[in-house]
Amino acid sequence: MSLIPPHPPALIVSDGLTKAYGPHYALRELSLEVRRGEVFGLLGPNGSGKTTTIRLWLGLMRPTRGKATVFGFDCWSGGLQVRRLVSYLPGELRMPGSLTGLGVLKFLSGLRDGEGLDRAEAIADRVMKLDLGRKVRKYSTGMKQKLALAQAFADPVDVLILDEPTSALDPSARLDVLNLVREAKAAGQTVVFSGHVLSEVEAICDRVAILRRGRLVHVEDMHARRSLRMILVRFEGDAPPPFPEELGLTLRRMRGPAFLLEHRGELGPLLRWLATVPVADVAIGTEDLHALYDEYHGPDALDDDGEDPER
Amino acid sequence: MKPFWTLVRKNLHDARWPLFLSSSLLAFLGWLLVYVASRNETRIRQSLAEGKAGNWIRQMGLEADPPSVEIMMTFWANPPFIMLLVSMFALGRGANAVGAEIERGTLDMVMSRPVSRSAYLGAQVLATILGLLAITGSLAIGTYAATFYNVLKSPPTFGLLLEPAFNLAALAFPMYGYTLLFSSMDIVRWRPLTAGSSLTLAGFISRVISMIPVFKDSWWRPWAEHASVFSLYNPVDAVSGRGHSGQDVAILLGAGAAFIVLAFLAFAHRDLPANA
Repeated sequence: MSLIPPHPPALIVSDGLTKAYGPHYALRELSLEVRRGEVFGLLGPNGSGKTTTIRLWLGLMRPTRGKATVFGFDCWSGGLQVRRLVSYLPGELRMPGSLTGLGVLKFLSGLRDGEGLDRAEAIADRVMKLDLGRKVRKYSTGMKQKLALAQAFADPVDVLILDEPTSALDPSARLDVLNLVREAKAAGQTVVFSGHVLSEVEAICDRVAILRRGRLVHVEDMHARRSLRMILVRFEGDAPPPFPEELGLTLRRMRGPAFLLEHRGELGPLLRWLATVPVADVAIGTEDLHALYDEYHGPDALDDDGEDPER
Repeated sequence: MKPFWTLVRKNLHDARWPLFLSSSLLAFLGWLLVYVASRNETRIRQSLAEGKAGNWIRQMGLEADPPSVEIMMTFWANPPFIMLLVSMFALGRGANAVGAEIERGTLDMVMSRPVSRSAYLGAQVLATILGLLAITGSLAIGTYAATFYNVLKSPPTFGLLLEPAFNLAALAFPMYGYTLLFSSMDIVRWRPLTAGSSLTLAGFISRVISMIPVFKDSWWRPWAEHASVFSLYNPVDAVSGRGHSGQDVAILLGAGAAFIVLAFLAFAHRDLPANA
């Protein structure tokens, strides 16, 4: 019997999903799965294919090749069924300025058979502190985003897709949004969180996909990452002692007598071993998502073709 | 069905000011034209009887001693601003339906909800039809109301006035149809609006040229006349029962419907980008 808990079933499945505009590829051969109940992060710079992926999942665009399904519904041919199960917050949000905040919520919930209006009003009023009687044209960008977030979190759906949900928000509102994402996860909803603020993605995501120039380059399990320690150690003497296998140390980098090691697991055995070897200096820390992101998008990153990925 | 009616309500809300202004203006115009007809009726009848009436009145199909409503209808057809107002509404609605929504970025808000593309466009079409009927109906209402306050030899019934009003609404239907088709394929407002306006203007010029007496015997005159939707708008025929008013309206509605079907097909198969 396996002791590893099985993964929840996949809810969104992309299989070789490709979107091309003539010779230009917005997305190439994206194959990944988003599991039921997880918070899944999409990372990448502008133009890396995050929004294209989301729009393909919502059936707003037809894939050039490959396919995507949500709950088994094909995203293009069954886009309407998909959108019944998904609530989407667009990255670039525009609203009809002639309506009041309440009017927008009524309109948006009316497009979903009137569901979720009470909850949307409650979130907008109590959490987001919005004056729903004001015309939307008098709202700031952040207030409009809060209004849309209130509707998105109120929709009675299984999947929430949030495209840069905190981009226009103040710090306290950002925290509110992260808390709402946690509540959504606790309620069993699946959340796709696309963003540029790595600390937010790191704080709430279970897994993170990194995209570069339309390609999926890495999927990181954030739970595994949170148990990762980085050990910078300098040993005395000419040669380093042998690393015990049971500690599971992995050499990341070596510069002269200094070693950068990766470690996962219990801290005690590691400290006990360090006490027995001639250590001149040691620093133990964690590695944030930024370091991983920089591997693919940092100044030293090269893509598969040996080109600068930001170019 | 609720999303569909929510969209219809929203579209009517968006169009409320153009609708209100156009309807008010046309109701007032209807009233004014009855007033003018009332003041000039005797003179026009006398001129027609003596064969001294201007060519334009005869070209509008007036015979000697016409009913009052036929005199009124010459004004519905001849000053272009009645057609202009209705055309502007139709062209604006068509261009706004998709292209402008993508340009503004507001289409995302709707299409990311559980709304089918046919429901979205269907709601646009229904709101426009209701708007066109409201605008042209207000012209009939204004005209009918004015008959109670102005002396006419033979005041028309409201039902009779609805026929040319419907012809006017039908005239705008193909204009809306082809502009909607252009808009359904585009991501900005200006292009479908320019294309729709150019086609409409070309149709109007074609109609005007075909009516110039000096071109009466030209081989291309019938082509120019039939190429224009404006040749199918004839309010005098609509009230007199002469001509092929019913057939003309059917052709206008058929052409509009064909363009709208093409717009549905184009919209159903296209990508919806975030914004332009």
